[in-house]
Amino acid sequence: MIPLFYYLALSAIVFSIGLFGFMTQRNGIRMLMCVELMLNAANINLVAFSSYNGDLTGQVFALFSISLAAAEAAIGFAILMSIYRVRDMINLDKINVLRW
Amino acid sequence: MAIEDMAFLIPVLPALAFVITFFLGKKLPNGGAIIPIIAIFTSFIISLMITLNLLQNPGQIISQSYSWFAILNVGILIDPLAAVMLSMVSFVSLLIHIYAVGYMSHDKAQPRYFAETALFTTAMLGVALSDNILQFFICWELVGLCSYLLIGFWFEKPSAASAAKKAFLTTRVGDVMFLAGIILLFADIFRIFNGSIPEGIYVLRFDEIFTHIPEIAALNTQIFGFEVSHLTIITLLFFGGAVGKSGQFPLHVWLPDAMEGPTTVSALIHAATMVTAGVYLVARTFPMFIAAPHSLIVVTYFGAFTALFAATMGLVMNDIKRVLAFSTISQLGYMVLGLGMGAVIGITAVGDSMFHLINHAFFKALLFLCAGSVIHAVGTQDIRQMGGVRKVMPITFVTMLIASLALAGFGIPGTSIGVSGFFSKDPIIEAAYLFGESTENWLPYLFSIVAALLTSIYIFRLIFMTFTGKPRTNYQGHESPFVMTIPLMILGVLALVFGALTKTGFGRFLEETFTNNFVNLDIHALSEIGKYHLVSHGAGNEPLMILWMPVIVAIAGLLISYLIYGMRVIDMSSIVSRKNPVYKLLYNRYYQNAIFTQFLAVKVVYEGLALAGRAIDRGFDWMVYLIGHIFTEASRGLRILQTGVVQNYATSVVTGVSLLIILVKLILEVF
Repeated sequence: MIPLFYYLALSAIVFSIGLFGFMTQRNGIRMLMCVELMLNAANINLVAFSSYNGDLTGQVFALFSISLAAAEAAIGFAILMSIYRVRDMINLDKINVLRW
Repeated sequence: MAIEDMAFLIPVLPALAFVITFFLGKKLPNGGAIIPIIAIFTSFIISLMITLNLLQNPGQIISQSYSWFAILNVGILIDPLAAVMLSMVSFVSLLIHIYAVGYMSHDKAQPRYFAETALFTTAMLGVALSDNILQFFICWELVGLCSYLLIGFWFEKPSAASAAKKAFLTTRVGDVMFLAGIILLFADIFRIFNGSIPEGIYVLRFDEIFTHIPEIAALNTQIFGFEVSHLTIITLLFFGGAVGKSGQFPLHVWLPDAMEGPTTVSALIHAATMVTAGVYLVARTFPMFIAAPHSLIVVTYFGAFTALFAATMGLVMNDIKRVLAFSTISQLGYMVLGLGMGAVIGITAVGDSMFHLINHAFFKALLFLCAGSVIHAVGTQDIRQMGGVRKVMPITFVTMLIASLALAGFGIPGTSIGVSGFFSKDPIIEAAYLFGESTENWLPYLFSIVAALLTSIYIFRLIFMTFTGKPRTNYQGHESPFVMTIPLMILGVLALVFGALTKTGFGRFLEETFTNNFVNLDIHALSEIGKYHLVSHGAGNEPLMILWMPVIVAIAGLLISYLIYGMRVIDMSSIVSRKNPVYKLLYNRYYQNAIFTQFLAVKVVYEGLALAGRAIDRGFDWMVYLIGHIFTEASRGLRILQTGVVQNYATSVVTGVSLLIILVKLILEVF
């Protein structure tokens, strides 16, 4: 059996990749993918602790989290699609019409 | 149904007529003229019945009050003074409405005309029968509004529009003073009651005011080091309102320009009724005036000066309506002078002055209606272009001649022979003589007698220039239709005989206003508060010369006019020219327009007040802008933080959380 530490290390690595990507990328799609990475890192954590403690609640919660991520992705991509139709690009730092 | 139960209908019926004519007038013949005529006729009948009832039973004054709010009320008070005024206003208004059916027959805006005159009649009747000063003021303002609307009746003409504005603004000066007087009076009565008004007492009712006259007179204020009684201040402020409304010097400037409206409006509002509201105000509050030191003297001088001042300008005007306008100002001066004579003859002054007011209403309305008839037929207002109108308009000529005789005041002293103006103007001039005798101050008498001479000259100049001689231009004159001449004839008869019929009863009837009826006032006690010395004997016992003097100057004026304008014996061309400085001064109306517009309006109001106000306003603006600038400048620095880029926010969140964790870790390790 793989010790808990490896799961947590994996989760931390995936989260850090996601965070780094989110902070550095300007492309909307990539940012959304990074957000998904961070969410999935959290899901790994949840499932790992659930298995470690023998409590199913964590896994159930992970399912919720996945469905939430799916919904979020659907909406996010829809928004990005319509931005792309209007502006021909999805560089989020250029979308600043409402800025001061 | 008792007559006093119908009293409220007097102003209500014309008000209904106003609404109906205003909205439905277009669908009715003659612009719906019949509705105001019926309404005002009914009002007149009720007023007349009340007046006759009061004549027989002097005690039966009508006094009804209803609570309005708090300590104020609305109500009706018909004592002899109000009854006479109501009858006169409704009667003259009725005749002029009938006349206007003919006069306005070519005008497209007839419904508006009749609606506005009906509203005016409502307001004027409201002024006459108010039983408290606040209601009086409200109706007074409504009258001013109607005057504005009707002067500007032909508002497409720029001159009419500006004349309406001028009239409104000039009278507003007086109205502000009147309102200030009411506020001061209210505050004083409140103080007398120590702030707790008992149930059922309405503080601004006339009887309530009059009962507190001695207390108000006892209150004093320091003004420029002089002890001035509050009563004097209040009465002078009231008189300021009267000066504005009744066209007394120096607020008379609007009245000649008010002739821009239709002639019927001039006759109704700016000669017979509205302009007498100021005189009526002073007469209504006369017990206050007689108890106020020096107020009546001020009233006297304003009246006497106005009578003379306006008459001199009437001499040189060439516009038929302007001559009559200056004549109106001059006659109003006589009425005000007559009220001021209360300083020597006491309550009789009200009778004299109101008598002149009523007579003047008849003959001046008649003069204006005749002038309107002439203008209607000849198509010009310039008397230099008329001449010989007598041949084409005999009825108008005769009625206008009667009115002129009444204005000049022909009659034989000591008998009952005379036209109406004679019986009312002479007592005023004689009272001025008594005033001179008892105070050694002859100026009012001098002014009034010279003004009487000038009155006679200018009115007969008008008659000779218009009606006699040969036509100076080609005009297609014709006598006016019956609907116009019948009111002329009725007014003509009244101008001829009304004075003689009522000369003794009238004054006594009006004196009962303040002696027997609704409050018991001891005029002698009041005049002692005012420090006036009433003469024991009334007018009528002067030397014979004084009694004849007004008639002599009237005849002299007629002769002078006849020689100059009738016979053309005296050549006036050297005097009547722009080179003569006196003529130029009079013709330009003492440059009062220039003084008022260029000096008062441009220099004082615009350059002084308006520019100073602008500077102050700029100062306030600067302060407001300064506060705004401080915040915008401060926020410019903070604004940089709000980049609007999500990554920046995410970075700062992560950095913050990381720092927090490190901090917590450090703290846990140390302790």
